[in-house]
Amino acid sequence: MSRHILSAFESELNDLREAVLRMGRLTLAATDGAVKGLVEGDREQLSDVIDEDDVIDNLERSIDQIGMDLLLRYTPVASDLRMVLSSINVGRSLERIADHAVNIAKRGRKLIKQGTVDEVAQVEACYLDVRKIVSGVLEAYADVEDGCATDLIQVDKKIDQSHKQLSKSLTKRISSHPEEARPLIELLFISRSFERIGDLAVNIAEDVIFMAPTAEA
Amino acid sequence: MPPFSTLPLDSSDAPSLEEQETIISISDLSFSYDNGKSNTLRNITLEIPKGQVTAFIGPSGCGKSTLLRCLNRMNDLVDTTKVTSGKVSILGQDINDPSVEAIELRKHVGMVFQKYNPFPKSIYENVAYGLRVQGIKERDVLDAAVEQSLTRAALWSEVKDRLDSSALGLSGGQQQRLCIARTIAVKPQIVLMDEPCSALDPIATAHIEDLISDLRGEFTIVIVTHNMQQATRVSDRTAFFYLGELIEYDTTGTIFTQPSKKQTEDYVSGRFG
Repeated sequence: MSRHILSAFESELNDLREAVLRMGRLTLAATDGAVKGLVEGDREQLSDVIDEDDVIDNLERSIDQIGMDLLLRYTPVASDLRMVLSSINVGRSLERIADHAVNIAKRGRKLIKQGTVDEVAQVEACYLDVRKIVSGVLEAYADVEDGCATDLIQVDKKIDQSHKQLSKSLTKRISSHPEEARPLIELLFISRSFERIGDLAVNIAEDVIFMAPTAEA
Repeated sequence: MPPFSTLPLDSSDAPSLEEQETIISISDLSFSYDNGKSNTLRNITLEIPKGQVTAFIGPSGCGKSTLLRCLNRMNDLVDTTKVTSGKVSILGQDINDPSVEAIELRKHVGMVFQKYNPFPKSIYENVAYGLRVQGIKERDVLDAAVEQSLTRAALWSEVKDRLDSSALGLSGGQQQRLCIARTIAVKPQIVLMDEPCSALDPIATAHIEDLISDLRGEFTIVIVTHNMQQATRVSDRTAFFYLGELIEYDTTGTIFTQPSKKQTEDYVSGRFG
């Protein structure tokens, strides 16, 4: 894509893109940290995820501010307009993904307190696809001309399927081992968060598809 | 007899935007300023719907004003100009047909210029001028037409108490609205506007843009503008020209959000031009 004649406009669009990518990296680190802390029983790591959510919230506000400033000062059109609108939306989705990371971390701390269960390993396996879709949509945002966002939407179907299977197995386990009900219920909610993160990643993929530049040469 | 005299002058029954009845049909038009040695416009084909506002955009020298001037044969005033191929039809009539008188055509296709150009006459006489040329002499008919035109041009309330004052005493924005009133007084079907706001301040520009929105439906408006935000505000459809060619023509929303051509995208987003 060629550069804008107005260098300040070009620079501010880059600032917006960088802010979204930075927020994406922090969000992915938050979900990684929450799952790692859960699996390894590391309360400190889980607390870090909760504490660092403020940084992500502040980045979302920065993205809104840069986006509003761009709309106000430069009245972007065409792919620039789509990029600004999409970036604001992506910021919103990332903030909600980070909130799910915090939920996972909080439930992880409770679970550690209650005594961990074997099913945590299954949750870790399910997270692989969640990570794949989140990192994938962030890569697609970084290189919108690549066009890989469409393929990632398929990964969400796999996550939904894993969530259904895990819910079924956890529910069955709760019935047969009611003494483990509390930590298993925490895992059920964590699985639900994975499913929601998948949906939010799909929203980001759709925003990336929307912002893709005009293809015709 | 020039066929334009048979056209309905009352265009108040303009169809809704959805009906998209074509009023101007440009087909494979090529145009030269040097007797055909080189073409300033090349193979332009587009259809302009009745009752809508159509904007022509593009960098300087792309041919948008030239095309606008082809629509009421203003280029006839330059000796070396020539339509080298194609045709322009208005309501099915080829306007370059030898049987069509340019003056008769311009009764139906009015024009507002970049620099407001009121006559050095009173406000009243500026608006009544075209009607007098058409042979209308009755004072009550002229009075009614002047009031109606000035009202439609959103100027009546500002000038009704000084109609006999010189038009040259009005502000720039008022003079441009007076020129629009003068244009619409003879009830053309089409109003061509060549950068009508480029010499005006933001408030006067807002008045003109408001007026364009108000005139939509009753008149078909074709506007040349360098101000792309203005095109997005006032027009229903936008045509992008580059180096004498029509690159893309679509609804204004599409041109400014999802143009299909990269050249359009690069121009509207400020990457070249």
